[in-house]
Amino acid sequence: MSRKFLDTESPGWVTDGLISEAQRLRLLARYPQQAPALGLLPVLGSVLVGLSGLSVVAANWQGLPDVLRLALLLGSLVGSYGAGAYFLRRGNPDLGHALIGLGLILFGASIILTSQLYQLVGYDVSGLLAWVVAGVALSYVYGSRLLVLLTVVIGAAVQTYCVQALGSFSYATAAMVAGGMGYYWWRRPDAVGSTVLAAGLLWQAGLLVVVLHAKITWFFVPAMLLYAAGDWQPNRAGGRALQGPPLVAAYLFMFGLATFGETDAYANVLRPPLLPYLGALGAVLALSVAGKRARGRFDTLPDWLLLLPGFYLPGGLPLAVATLVVLYAHAGSVLARAHRQEDPNQLTIGAILFVTATMVAYFKLTWAFLDKSLFFLLGGVLLLGLSWYLRRRNVQVLAAAPPIAVPATGPPAPTEPSSTPKTRLPND
Amino acid sequence: MTDLLTWFADPARRRPLLRLLVAAQVLYVLGVAGAGYATAALGQHIILTTSPVDPRDLLYGDFVRLRYNIGEAPLSQWKDAAPPRRRQGVFVLLAPGPDSVSTTVGIYPSAPAAGPNQAVLRGWVTNVYRNSFALRFNLERYYVPEGSGLRLEKAGRLHPLRVRVSIAPWGQARIARVDDPVKTPKPRR
Repeated sequence: MSRKFLDTESPGWVTDGLISEAQRLRLLARYPQQAPALGLLPVLGSVLVGLSGLSVVAANWQGLPDVLRLALLLGSLVGSYGAGAYFLRRGNPDLGHALIGLGLILFGASIILTSQLYQLVGYDVSGLLAWVVAGVALSYVYGSRLLVLLTVVIGAAVQTYCVQALGSFSYATAAMVAGGMGYYWWRRPDAVGSTVLAAGLLWQAGLLVVVLHAKITWFFVPAMLLYAAGDWQPNRAGGRALQGPPLVAAYLFMFGLATFGETDAYANVLRPPLLPYLGALGAVLALSVAGKRARGRFDTLPDWLLLLPGFYLPGGLPLAVATLVVLYAHAGSVLARAHRQEDPNQLTIGAILFVTATMVAYFKLTWAFLDKSLFFLLGGVLLLGLSWYLRRRNVQVLAAAPPIAVPATGPPAPTEPSSTPKTRLPND
Repeated sequence: MTDLLTWFADPARRRPLLRLLVAAQVLYVLGVAGAGYATAALGQHIILTTSPVDPRDLLYGDFVRLRYNIGEAPLSQWKDAAPPRRRQGVFVLLAPGPDSVSTTVGIYPSAPAAGPNQAVLRGWVTNVYRNSFALRFNLERYYVPEGSGLRLEKAGRLHPLRVRVSIAPWGQARIARVDDPVKTPKPRR
């Protein structure tokens, strides 16, 4: 609730007799007007001055002597780190972290520009690896979300450069991001940071598959390894956040298979050798199941339905039916879990998944058999009915829930058998 | 067991750690620059020629793509029993000809002893064909001062360019200069 909201709404509360004027004043005093930490105008002014300086330098860059170029780069690097530390000490963490992030970006720019200056940019990525290392170290020191995001993005960018320009995968970069930021995630599982980390690592995994010219389905082995790591994370929310991107990728793949899988043309793109692929995926599954067991999260096991290797089936009707069954089963499992945990967000997601599966099924299976107008009429009625039913269930569930149910954060209610016994112990 | 993150994020350590990190970054950039200087100052200088390149392929924004004549060699120049493999690191023994342009004497899997006048250039196998194989040297990009890139592109399309390369005693190589065959004075600001 913003202070502005309080300012505009609270007089109405007093007139309605909800609170007294004295209470209103106390409420307002409780949420003081945020004093702007730094006036906006000076910031804008300094940005403009900075931009003008930057454009002067950029325009004359080629004409500057080498030493001056180097001095400019290093001066701005040290300057922005120094300014960042200064603002942090002054108690302005946002600006401080932003300036330290700027310093990190300037470090990368300095490496690239210096290498170009001396014609050293070749196929050597060790220079850019130092950039990732610096990002990991700064994230550790400052524990700032911005720096974490920046480091993950820098890792993905360096890897993209390696693959695109040099045609090789930098395992060191991948290991640095996965190990360095993975440890950070393990200790400080923050929802946004976890999702970004997972997305960045998935990007690198995708690049690895491209470089190795492997079948694209191999992508799901590292992706699900990430998922399994989420199972072992003691913090359930942080683990789930890391599992989001791999699950989205798996779902999109299964969806694509259900939608476009009727031709067999993809066979040589998707089908890796059966035994190695299933062996690798099975090993990851075992790891994931062990994690779920250790943390008491078996309720999320049906996520793995999306990884069923349906693409080994011959294309056409068998594959279409199999993928649809999987999509339905997965949507059903999400709905059932949401129902059990009385989680409205999950219920919405489950309903959307269910409707999507129905749409795919309908378009895949009935298009050929029905007159077009009847097709659309029936489909519309089917979807309307389905959404009405799911919404009713949703409302029923929410109405049946205890009035002040805060499922995610509150102490485990007796109706929630799946909450982790391990985390409950210290509270008792 | 102390947590690594807690150790790093300790406010008392923050200042010295930042100083250390910034100093390391500055030193690293200076090291890159120093390696560049040293390669030119201490290194051995050779001249290589390029072959004309597909013009669409030559200029990538701020750099020119160079294709060296020594970048493709017949398998007869390969001095090892086992055939070359892709991505293998190799050593190219070069000797200058009468026009002072260096050409390949032989290509070795490990560093050969260079005679007087000869130079050894590091390379990597990019492709192996039936009778020949292709190499790259990390010298395929030349970052050009603004404006002169187009001239090089035109020149490179028609004539071979002469590229002056410095090879440091520790093996690092870099382009010192690309001679522009069209002799026009360089624009100075």
